[in-house]
Amino acid sequence: MGEALKIRTACRQCHGGCGVIAHVRDGKVIKVEGDPDSPLSHGTLCSKGLSVTQLAYHPDRILHPMKKTGKGWERISWDEALDTIKEKFEAVIAEYGPESIVIGQGTGRDYESHLYRFANQLGTPNVLTAGHMCYVSRVASTLITVGNLPICDYDGGPKCIVMWACNPQWTNPDEYKGEGFWRAYKKGAKLIVIDPRKGFLANKADLWLQLRPGTDGALAMGFHQVIIEEELYDRDFVENHINGWEAFKERVKEYPIEKVEEITWVDKNLIRKAARMYAKTKPACIHWGVPTEQTNNCTDCTRAMTGLMAATGNLDTRGGNVLFVNPPTRTVAEFSRHKDLSREQRAKRLGGDRYKLGARVAFITPKVAWEAILTEKPYPLKAGLLCGTNPVSTRANAREAYDALDKIDFLAVIDLFMTPTAELADIFLPAGTWLEQNHVADNWKRHGFVVARQKCVEIGEAWQDHKIFQELGKKMGQEWWETVEDGLDYLLEPSGLTWEEFKEKGYLQGEMVYHKYSERGFSTPTGKVELYSTVLEKWGFDPLPKYTEIPESPVSTPELLDRYPYILNAGLRTPTFFHSANRMMPWLREIRPDPIVEIHPETARNCGIEDGDWVCIESPRGKARERAKLNDGIHPKVVVAEHGWWYPEMRDPGHGWDISNINLLTDNSHESMDPAMGATNLRACLCNIYSVRDSNGMMK
Amino acid sequence: MEKVSLSFYKKDCMGCHACEIACKQEHGLGVGPRLVRVMEKAPFYEPVYCHHCTKAPCLEACPVEAITRTGNGIVLIDGETCIGCRECLEACPFGAMQFDAEAETAVKCDLCTDRLAANQAPACSSVCPTRCIIWGDTARKVPDRIATER
Repeated sequence: MGEALKIRTACRQCHGGCGVIAHVRDGKVIKVEGDPDSPLSHGTLCSKGLSVTQLAYHPDRILHPMKKTGKGWERISWDEALDTIKEKFEAVIAEYGPESIVIGQGTGRDYESHLYRFANQLGTPNVLTAGHMCYVSRVASTLITVGNLPICDYDGGPKCIVMWACNPQWTNPDEYKGEGFWRAYKKGAKLIVIDPRKGFLANKADLWLQLRPGTDGALAMGFHQVIIEEELYDRDFVENHINGWEAFKERVKEYPIEKVEEITWVDKNLIRKAARMYAKTKPACIHWGVPTEQTNNCTDCTRAMTGLMAATGNLDTRGGNVLFVNPPTRTVAEFSRHKDLSREQRAKRLGGDRYKLGARVAFITPKVAWEAILTEKPYPLKAGLLCGTNPVSTRANAREAYDALDKIDFLAVIDLFMTPTAELADIFLPAGTWLEQNHVADNWKRHGFVVARQKCVEIGEAWQDHKIFQELGKKMGQEWWETVEDGLDYLLEPSGLTWEEFKEKGYLQGEMVYHKYSERGFSTPTGKVELYSTVLEKWGFDPLPKYTEIPESPVSTPELLDRYPYILNAGLRTPTFFHSANRMMPWLREIRPDPIVEIHPETARNCGIEDGDWVCIESPRGKARERAKLNDGIHPKVVVAEHGWWYPEMRDPGHGWDISNINLLTDNSHESMDPAMGATNLRACLCNIYSVRDSNGMMK
Repeated sequence: MEKVSLSFYKKDCMGCHACEIACKQEHGLGVGPRLVRVMEKAPFYEPVYCHHCTKAPCLEACPVEAITRTGNGIVLIDGETCIGCRECLEACPFGAMQFDAEAETAVKCDLCTDRLAANQAPACSSVCPTRCIIWGDTARKVPDRIATER
């Protein structure tokens, strides 16, 4: 047995970035530890990252390319796999044009630069991502408002933190890593938590605002109401740096505090208290979570929250929400050659004329992809390549996603396991885990860091995702590099470092500059914070933020309450899983063996449900089975259910995708989406819940 | 010799389970025995772990003296000596004693003695995102933490 080699790398079990030291012995990773020298995670690591050896060496992992035949899946060579995709794609291009090929990813795991580079050179504008309702939508809305995504400056020492719909240490922390937040909190920052569910942080908070799911946008307007009424805003900032402050003030008048209380279910005095605490404690930052985007109010909610940062003078200020400067590397936009996609092809982007803000950041909402496959309108999608995504589990109206992917003529997937989505494909390409890749990680984020993810091992014939796009692209005559590392040299070029030099360094940090706007203004058409958006106005949307009622709610569809009396708050995150991933990992599944739906004890009594019962949750669109867990920290009218569940242990090709799939209940109709973004209401709809104790549990 | 023990500052345990996985990885344990475990009842979390008791009930219950306490206070079990009778599981007031069905012996937290010898924190403590797992001279450290922390 050889001595263990210690390799510094970066996790990607969620969006990644936490520093890891991998111990490699005899060509195998035997354990991983947190890297105390990581500037982002300081040695901490979560259950997901710590379990990576069970992911990388899982017996079910597919370690060679496969093709589906009449007799099932058969092993093939990389050459055959890539040649097959090339031939199919070329045939589609010849007959229908490149726009009839959809390239897709899931939540995005540090390969968007390569995925988009492939799609752009292929000539398809149809890139299907989670961006319509997750993070990229936040980026899109803030780009048109302040020119960049404002992120909490935890190292700058906020004195008040508004944790808005997020549990950063419990689940995926996006930019921030939970570490920074925790240190700031421990130093004594006041904490305001906005969450329908009383979690760890809500319990710790100075103020907890238990809002009705999906009404975040109205609550933000309520904060503005208090701040304007009590003149708590930063007079100099609003006069000099906000476009349309007077018009915005008029809009806010439409949200008297009593009305906001009625919409959000949050006591008006508590709203007042929270708004005052946020506005008066300097500096203060807002840490936002993805539920603020996963409604029809996606754009407006993000813009109203950005407005809070601006109005209180907390924007681009030490300890506030900062527009971080990234280290000098090539951006995703440049690396992926967005500019090379012709105007003509861009104009063909599905839904592009409708969801203009989404189109601006180069994604399509899944609905338009499913429609193009199922109805061939406005033109057919005939082939697809999906990377690290399981839309039959994670997208609204999962049934439609399943039907579409079942129907598409040709589908190739890149993944680690044979997921329910992968089972619908014709070609399976085996991806490497993060232990098997070299990458300049976090380059797509906006938190001012890039970190080195270094290859520790190679396993089977798996390739890192980046290499798959590169080699397929090369086969199709695209411009790429000899090796993945050559591409990383190109990405790093502006920093003056090669990949080899960078990986020795471990990370780069951008320059920290506050108040950049005082010299150069904001990167918006007016150079100001566009609370009144000239961009949205030009596109024919309401230029001012507002709250639009959730399309299916006690307010908008009271006629459904007889059959569906509860509000489903879907998508409860857990520490052990990331969306539809990790259910096959024994250590993690031991902790959370079953999907959980949390209900208030009073609701349980009314429904005849006992703790631990298998229950059926049902909406007008479908149903899912999960196990009830009683929690008096949620509203009796709200049930909170986990998402992403399928059962890898079920060996049939469906792997139980439709048993506990909460997205069979969610809606993706055009009318229900955000009009500018195409965001779906993944978090809120109406439902009923009842015990299936007597019907043999979940009938697995 | 300085006494070494383990303690959780429960108010800061958020139920992320990172400690559990770090422990399993360190000790090469599969599904089954959980030398540290966090019970969930949001918003509260109850860590279950070996306190390395001064007067250890597991040690006293063991009929074959497989459980011993080292000079610096770490309570250890010798898998070779253990006969798998599970008396210690019943005796432990915390539920920290575990049974390894494969080896058919009781298993318990050894406070990562190998790591301690290499001047490293126990695996569970090393990864905790809220730093709520305290080890070392806990008799001194825990009151300190309670006095100074919010």
